[in-house]
Amino acid sequence: MALKKEVYKEFESVVGEENICDDPAIMPSYYNTEFAAVILPGNTAEVQAVVKLCNKHKLMFRPICTGWSGMFPKDIILLDLRRMNHIIEINEKNMYAVVEPYVISSQLQAELFKRGLNFCIKGAGTNCSAMLRGHGHMDQTTSGDDRNHLAIEWITPAGDIVRSGALGSTDDWFCGDGPGPSLRSILTSAVPPGVTPGVFTKAAVKLYHWPGPSAYSLQGVSPHYSLSEIPPNMMARYYSFPSVEKMWQAELAIGEAEISFELMGFNISMVAANITTSNEEEEETFNRLNKEVQGPGFFVIIAGNSAADFAYKKKVLEKIVSDASGKSLKAVEDPRIEGILMAQCTRISASIRETFRNGGAFNSIPIMGQRDLTIKWAIGAGKAKEPLIEKGLIVDDGGAFFGWGVEQGHLGKTEIFCKFDPQNAEAKAAVEEWQKAQNRRAFEERYFASTMGPQDKIGPALCNYDKWWSKLVKSIDPNGVSPEGGSLV
Amino acid sequence: MIAKEKLVKAVGAGNVSYDEAVLDEYASDISFVNSVRPVCVVQPRNTAAVHKLVKLANDTQTPLVPISSGPPHFRGDTVPGTGGAVIVNMGGMKKIINVDRARRVAMIEPGVTYGELIPAAEKEGIRLNMPLLPRKSKTVVGSMLEREPVIMPKYQWDISDPLACIEVIFGSGDEFRTGQAAGPGTVKEQWAVGGIQKAPYGPGVASWHRLIQGSQGTMGIVTWASMRCEILPGLEEPFVVGSSNLETLLEMTSWLIRLRMVNECFILNNTNLAAIFARKWPKDYQAIKDALPTWTLFYNLAGYEYYPEERISSYITDITEITQRLGVEAVKAVGEVSANEILKAVQQPSAEPYWKLRYKGACEDIYLLTIHDKLEGLIGVMNDQADKAGYASSDLGIYIQPIVQGTGYHCEFNLFYDPDNPSERYRVKGLSAAAIKNLAAHGAFFSRPYGESAGMILNRDAATVAILNKLKGMFDPNNVMNPGKICF
Amino acid sequence: MGLEQYKGDMDMCCRCSACKFIPMQKVKGLQYANACPSIAKYNFHAYSGGGRLNIGAAMLKDGMKYTDKLLDIVYNCQMCGACGVSCNYAMDMEVLEPISEFRIQCVADGKTNPALDKVIGNLRKQGSMVPGAKSQRGAWAAGLNVKDAAKEKVDVLYHVGCLTSFDKNMQKMARATVKILQKAGVNFGIFGNAETCCGGRAYQMGYPEDFLAQARKNMAMIKKAGVKTVVTGCADGYQAFKVLYDRFNLKGDLKVLHISEYIDILIRDGKLKPRRKVNMAVTYHDPCRLGRLGESWVHWEGKKIPGDRFVYDPPKPYRRGTNGVYEPPRDVLKAIPGLKLAEMTRIKEYSWCCGAGGGVSESNPDFARWTAQDRIEEAVSTGAGAIVTACPWCEKTFIEAIKDSGSNMKVYDIVEIVEKAI
Repeated sequence: MALKKEVYKEFESVVGEENICDDPAIMPSYYNTEFAAVILPGNTAEVQAVVKLCNKHKLMFRPICTGWSGMFPKDIILLDLRRMNHIIEINEKNMYAVVEPYVISSQLQAELFKRGLNFCIKGAGTNCSAMLRGHGHMDQTTSGDDRNHLAIEWITPAGDIVRSGALGSTDDWFCGDGPGPSLRSILTSAVPPGVTPGVFTKAAVKLYHWPGPSAYSLQGVSPHYSLSEIPPNMMARYYSFPSVEKMWQAELAIGEAEISFELMGFNISMVAANITTSNEEEEETFNRLNKEVQGPGFFVIIAGNSAADFAYKKKVLEKIVSDASGKSLKAVEDPRIEGILMAQCTRISASIRETFRNGGAFNSIPIMGQRDLTIKWAIGAGKAKEPLIEKGLIVDDGGAFFGWGVEQGHLGKTEIFCKFDPQNAEAKAAVEEWQKAQNRRAFEERYFASTMGPQDKIGPALCNYDKWWSKLVKSIDPNGVSPEGGSLV
Repeated sequence: MIAKEKLVKAVGAGNVSYDEAVLDEYASDISFVNSVRPVCVVQPRNTAAVHKLVKLANDTQTPLVPISSGPPHFRGDTVPGTGGAVIVNMGGMKKIINVDRARRVAMIEPGVTYGELIPAAEKEGIRLNMPLLPRKSKTVVGSMLEREPVIMPKYQWDISDPLACIEVIFGSGDEFRTGQAAGPGTVKEQWAVGGIQKAPYGPGVASWHRLIQGSQGTMGIVTWASMRCEILPGLEEPFVVGSSNLETLLEMTSWLIRLRMVNECFILNNTNLAAIFARKWPKDYQAIKDALPTWTLFYNLAGYEYYPEERISSYITDITEITQRLGVEAVKAVGEVSANEILKAVQQPSAEPYWKLRYKGACEDIYLLTIHDKLEGLIGVMNDQADKAGYASSDLGIYIQPIVQGTGYHCEFNLFYDPDNPSERYRVKGLSAAAIKNLAAHGAFFSRPYGESAGMILNRDAATVAILNKLKGMFDPNNVMNPGKICF
Repeated sequence: MGLEQYKGDMDMCCRCSACKFIPMQKVKGLQYANACPSIAKYNFHAYSGGGRLNIGAAMLKDGMKYTDKLLDIVYNCQMCGACGVSCNYAMDMEVLEPISEFRIQCVADGKTNPALDKVIGNLRKQGSMVPGAKSQRGAWAAGLNVKDAAKEKVDVLYHVGCLTSFDKNMQKMARATVKILQKAGVNFGIFGNAETCCGGRAYQMGYPEDFLAQARKNMAMIKKAGVKTVVTGCADGYQAFKVLYDRFNLKGDLKVLHISEYIDILIRDGKLKPRRKVNMAVTYHDPCRLGRLGESWVHWEGKKIPGDRFVYDPPKPYRRGTNGVYEPPRDVLKAIPGLKLAEMTRIKEYSWCCGAGGGVSESNPDFARWTAQDRIEEAVSTGAGAIVTACPWCEKTFIEAIKDSGSNMKVYDIVEIVEKAI
């Protein structure tokens, strides 16, 4: 539904003619959804003005950053935050950086590497916003979920600017909590269906020490990038174990020993995806490597702050792996492959090759939280993939799942997905059915409840959180202009 | 006003007190808030009783003031903000529900103190990330809900740590469990399938525990909490570094934490270090203090299961590079205080009497959060304020605690005074108010606002207050939970 | 419909935004991370490579729906292929091909850009992409004693290109090339006034029939003259002869070299000895059609294998920019005594376009200059005093951008640098 001319003009007067568009030509690139308009605000003030106009005219809006994933109702105003792409501050002494929504992780990380720093890049990839809540490959060291945000600047659905924590009181970004209860309780971005209404215009993110090089020494031409040398005091390996129990024993011990910079519970299918440059090569490599592993495994990067520190970590790693009857995958001992994976997992976060290349789509069940519990559930979900693999409906990855430790194994993440061709209706239906069934099993057997399920069932099972969230949304969005759904990925 | 018989029915006859002496204890605390007497004190023993209490409170518009720690209280948040209040003393719920080595988590009821939990955790091979020398009567849940800083910043990934999940009865009367504890299923059903209550985020996109922390009991009453624990080290090697140059110590601290080499890590000035270790007053205290450098950085190196000596040895090598670069020395003692003594002391609650009270009998704490670059300036502001008020700045106790893996500093000023000396009391009261005002004006962040200064602190951030009021309106629509605190 | 063959590719786009940026592991900081000039300037996702695929997929399904905005999106694309390189690091799918087909479809449907129509009109009349009479095409060579390749037997045909032939500022490159080839003792010639446009830019602009007409004309002349090797100094020309002619089965055995490749060979063979010092700090700009789009065409035909993966039988080899001409120009520059080469951030297969491709220099000169301006700033950031490139279209656009900005940066073609050194 087109905006009335005079309303369009009001928005145009805020952002300029070139930064608003309601032409149907652009809509296929925006989730094939007929938005009332797509608006590109340039700064906090413009976002606030646009949101206030939305309230004035009772128009719904949602923001996106790079916008990889999204579910949006039509006829709303879509705020594409692309023009808000500045790094506001990098504070080395206090280990935080402040970014606008469209600084991508790769950009921030490159700046941080120069300073011997790093941050949590998300599994979605360094091509996505640095500002996201999320989890990724380096969570052992760089934490994840909502635990990396400090202060946040937020335009509420009503068009007020709220600056959380110290930002609101003393203009400092280092603390997002207080005075009193913390607004970080409600300020979060996440995958659908729920995100905090309104718009985050800036956020401070925690930083971590990076013992690696200020820039990797890459060689080669795309798609064959590799490292010309493994950086000093760093090592990457893939270990497989005779059983899930042994793998878990080693994973936990590594976390408790605090020796891994990264521990990524790749299955061998994902290793194959990441080190190959085409689908065919991936299939051949997976078949080959699958014969070399003795069971489930994980990829580890250790990084010493010094030679002594590295030597210690290496010694402990080898002991832990040996105690759990682990076996190192020879392919990854090859420095070329080792370097590819090292750079891939720290600098890109690997995602696209391992998820989309095969068929263009994957449906996944990701669970953050208690690793041993979710592994237990995932074993069953993996078995349930086998009939789909046999029928050729999904890519054969051995029914595998993956995951990793977070905060040296205190928390964790487990995920299992099915890669398939979305144009294949039978495959799509089968995958969706698998997803429903496994989520249902997780719920009924009390492992976890995916909040992407039907809220009328999930809500009551989780202390009616949905009702509280809904109440909150209503109270901060009196005009109902910031609907649920969408994401800031 | 809740009728007595209803209270008795809700919590049990032995758990309700109208005794005037008891009421007087809760009518005031060491802080300077106005004295307001509660009408009674109740001590529920289980969640069901708390439910009933909250319902009764809503029915009768009776303010409830939840507390868990025993006296003496310091912040003013346990003193009723209005008349007609009922003190809900959760200190009677003292179960240690579980301690889980494998998943490094413990679950406790509100009345459990550090002194009670530490040995239970030790038995399982785990330990707590605790505040600096809490008083004996301080409860673990109370401390975590206050967002008290902890002495192992390396293990504080988030400001909410070590708190994990909580069960809370909101002021509305609704029960809620946060994080992984929310469901599906009851906690027991979750245990049956191998679940523990540790992941703090959710359910859904919100992190509800953050709303209860820092709320001073204004959102609801917590009936249990889980907390993440760390492994007991197999080997420990503590050190101290003394200096008159705080910036040097801050620089060293930031690297120790950035490189994740140290467990316990904090800075104390000579006043505080002497106050903690003095046995006899005032000679002992003065002698210790005179022998100490102005500032002492304390840190502890730990080794765990695998080659602990080698781990510590490699840390010492790497730390020596830092100390040499900064021109300081890591040693085993400063003055008469040894690093080992400090370590032993800080891994337990304070011995009695509470260390802050030993010097003069009372203590007013002013604490703020700030960043590296502002810290010394703020200490200067406080010193000026103290001198102006006639409180010698050299008598100020100062405690600097890096927080959240080095993203900020908790800076605490301890103003010791004789509570029976009216002029000292008056001076400290005035100094406290003036100092907070000036510190705020110079950019100190008071993330935990208590007492009479709370209003001034919150007035600086109207936008946050507006949202907090909405949240309060949701979770405690009748404003029965500790009214008059924070901005409510 | 040409676009139909790319349905699967367009559907594969998962909207990851990688196409907007250079490969993630090559990003050096906040600056110079953009790969696509179009979305860098216009910001709406529709202007990105992925956005164009989304539009293509939708319109293939629901029919072409032309609006002014759609045409603005279509024609404000330099067809530089950076999106494809970034995408194809991870994905097996065509990116530039469907974008190109979409442009071709617009032109076929009569939805042309008047500025480009004008250019093509001139091409049809004068055989040139720039204004200039046929009879003057070879005038730059007066007095240089260059063989007529149509009349005398030569080993190498030097195809000068439209811009170099007619533009007074670019003719020095032709003269420098002649000097170099003569110095190296190469038996070469030109077609002079008979030379006609390679047709490459016409293809970029969306006029495949005009391209083919030119291609056929060129190959007829080449065959008639018995030429076995063609050397050109224009990246568009290079890509046309080497890649497009081969794609449309017109190239045969013709060997195609860019002048930078040829000079590299001549230096290695000892036929050219750059001895004179050229004391300059320079940076090198990889032209899109010499670099990532200059890799050989791969003839392949196959069918998608039904099932869970987007794979073909036989396996489809994707052109990902891996085999473009990156090292020879650099080796040439390194062989020049006194020259210091500092690399920009966006180089080789992920080089930033100069702005001139896809007809943009004609249809939207402001956008072309904006793109070039970004490149000049990047060049300045290396500390270099000059930007060296290997295509007259790049040079022209850089010169215009420098004029606008008042920068001191100098622009050279690689042959000018070599000329100084021999």
